[in-house]
Amino acid sequence: MDFGLTETQELIKASAREFLEEKSDPAVVRAVADGDSDAIAELWKDVVELGWPSLTIPEEHGGAGLTFSDLAVLLEELGAKLAPTPIVESSISSWIIERFASDSIKSDLLPKVAEGEVLITPAIVERDASWDPESTKLAATRSGSNLVITGEKRFVAFAEQATHALTLVRTDDGEPALVVVPIWKADGVEQTPLKHSSGVPVSSLAFNELEVAETNIVATGDQALKAAEELIAAGGVARSAQLAGLGRAVVDATVEYTANREQFGVPVGSFQAVQHHLADMAIAAKQVNHLVHSAAWSFSREGYSVDTAAQAKIAASDKIAALCWTAHQCHGAIGFTWEHDLHLYTRRALAWKTDYGDSAFHKEKLANAMGL
Amino acid sequence: MRFEFTAEETNFKSQLSAFLDDVLPDDWHGPADESLDDHWELNQSIKKGLAERGWLVMSWPKEYGGADSSPMMNTIFAEEMAYRRAPGHDRFGTRMFGPTLMRFGTEEQKKTHLGAIANGDIQWCQGYSEPNSGSDLASLQTKAIEDGDDFIVTGAKIWTSLAHRADMMFMLVRTDPEARPHKGISLILVDMKSPGVEVQPIVNMAGVHSFNQVVFDQVRVPKTNLVGDLNDGWRAGMTVLNFERSGIDYAAWARVALEELVDYVNSDTAEVSAAKSDPSVRVKLAELHMEAEAARLMCYDVSYRQGKGEIPSSEASMSKVAASEVYLKVLDYGVDLLGMYGVLEPGSDQAELQGRFFKMRMFYTSGPILAGTNEIQKNIIAQRGLGLPRK
Repeated sequence: MDFGLTETQELIKASAREFLEEKSDPAVVRAVADGDSDAIAELWKDVVELGWPSLTIPEEHGGAGLTFSDLAVLLEELGAKLAPTPIVESSISSWIIERFASDSIKSDLLPKVAEGEVLITPAIVERDASWDPESTKLAATRSGSNLVITGEKRFVAFAEQATHALTLVRTDDGEPALVVVPIWKADGVEQTPLKHSSGVPVSSLAFNELEVAETNIVATGDQALKAAEELIAAGGVARSAQLAGLGRAVVDATVEYTANREQFGVPVGSFQAVQHHLADMAIAAKQVNHLVHSAAWSFSREGYSVDTAAQAKIAASDKIAALCWTAHQCHGAIGFTWEHDLHLYTRRALAWKTDYGDSAFHKEKLANAMGL
Repeated sequence: MRFEFTAEETNFKSQLSAFLDDVLPDDWHGPADESLDDHWELNQSIKKGLAERGWLVMSWPKEYGGADSSPMMNTIFAEEMAYRRAPGHDRFGTRMFGPTLMRFGTEEQKKTHLGAIANGDIQWCQGYSEPNSGSDLASLQTKAIEDGDDFIVTGAKIWTSLAHRADMMFMLVRTDPEARPHKGISLILVDMKSPGVEVQPIVNMAGVHSFNQVVFDQVRVPKTNLVGDLNDGWRAGMTVLNFERSGIDYAAWARVALEELVDYVNSDTAEVSAAKSDPSVRVKLAELHMEAEAARLMCYDVSYRQGKGEIPSSEASMSKVAASEVYLKVLDYGVDLLGMYGVLEPGSDQAELQGRFFKMRMFYTSGPILAGTNEIQKNIIAQRGLGLPRK
């Protein structure tokens, strides 16, 4: 057992902290939440230069070839600063493409992802809000060497910025397929932006007879389901890493506030009732952190552990959201204001807990893994 | 980051497991508590077996008969023993008193006592809490007055596990009533057969005699039994608590109890057959499994940090709180899951899982109370870990 960071990870952490301190301050976070897409573009340009979208892309495809654990370390820092940038979306899409797609898709797309020319975002959920790949309805009809896609995907993060969606369709033979679909300014794709508590662009995508070459298929049938399962597991761990960072940041901010806010002539953080809230919050944040690292590590190996991936997302979803509510209680009235930044964190935590399968979804997965 | 054991650790774990297969009775379900009269012989024989294999004090330095094993290895040992609910690893002697004596004892004291602990020949008990000094331990009042070459000890210790089986007690006594609370305390060693020592059994809410009150009426203790300097016993005494405070036992007990519940739910012979098709049962057991694994990782993190030479005080407190709480949640849920059967006590006709979930729930009410209540642990986390101001 080794709970320490490697040299590379320490480096990632330090450089991310330094960069985000300046580039993802609450003013930027608020601007993006208010619809400022220039701010997203500017941040994205910088993070591409830092090589973050290509962290786990193999070197042969122009990436840094680092591990999922390394990615988790970066994501914690992004989560801690609520950085409004699609690293999870891009990294998870690349991860699945690397694991499941043909060599020609990989060598075509992955170098472009690394250069920031292509941004791929997962589009899995439909109208029923289910993350179960089996429930996919989006129709893809074969026409010559093309697929013609008609239907809807919902809750697609950064669809406004993405050049492609990695989406799950059902072909006319009733089989599921995972396909990379160009969506950037595409005829036949209509975006409906949602007012989403994550504070980043999230849209529904309506496909109207969108033609996509068959060569864009990443996987079909059982292999597509397998890829989708891994996408959800990896995405869940990635979101959990962001939530872990977010939780840590909220604990730190609450310690800072209660250690300085005075009532009855003493800091409120000297009261046992407040200290015990904070001790519980610190325990929760630490537990999520450990579970995320353990799950991320399993992705750094051959295959991954369904068991630990589910544990991480259950814990992150439930514990970090609860921790945020306790932080509001510890902040008193000031934490109830729009002006105070705490609700930015709470909003994000509530959004992320629904993403890549919520707690109930992953408890079902975990129960299966436990032999129940 | 690496979340697996080394080959050496895995190998040790399977050797220990094989040993326990041999020595534990078939269909053994505990209880793990080493103080229970029913299992005293088993406790002694396992202790001897562990000593023969060099495992009983493997955490000790080589010069004292140990193997200088790593904190992670010690955690694996404790975890496997707890997972199998095996008695016999003598926490008071091996984990608490021995290491304290190595640090604070005289050469003579070490020679007298350490070998006996390592061989599994002697039973120690811990005399800390008093009827009026629990969480506020430094207020303790049992006094030791100097009289020639002896101390004369008068007072009472309480919640003393194993006092009725112990040969010796390491105890904190007040040697300077004028000094500030922490400054007038000393650590001394008392032979339990000394005239004036009276052990009064206390039965806990599970109906088990596991601890005692020990009354001292002018008990003579030679001054050579003072550990460390006079009036400097608080420091030595607290060292013991650092060894005591880990959540790994609870994390392991939670894991094995959960496994039993999963097996029960899946079993075709369970009386509560509806549990099998109840989705809320799946959800709850999955949630508890996550909690138990989270607590387990916290304990491993403590060992990892200790291995690097840190003293992870706040992390150790976190692990104790998290693990003792999840264990009770598992036991609570076990009692609930068994429904009407959940309140049948061991020995009852028609009891499911031998009534042990009810009994364990009663017994481990002590978890969040003993070895520093969870409230005290949270004070440590908030003040030492997070740096919040003391009042």
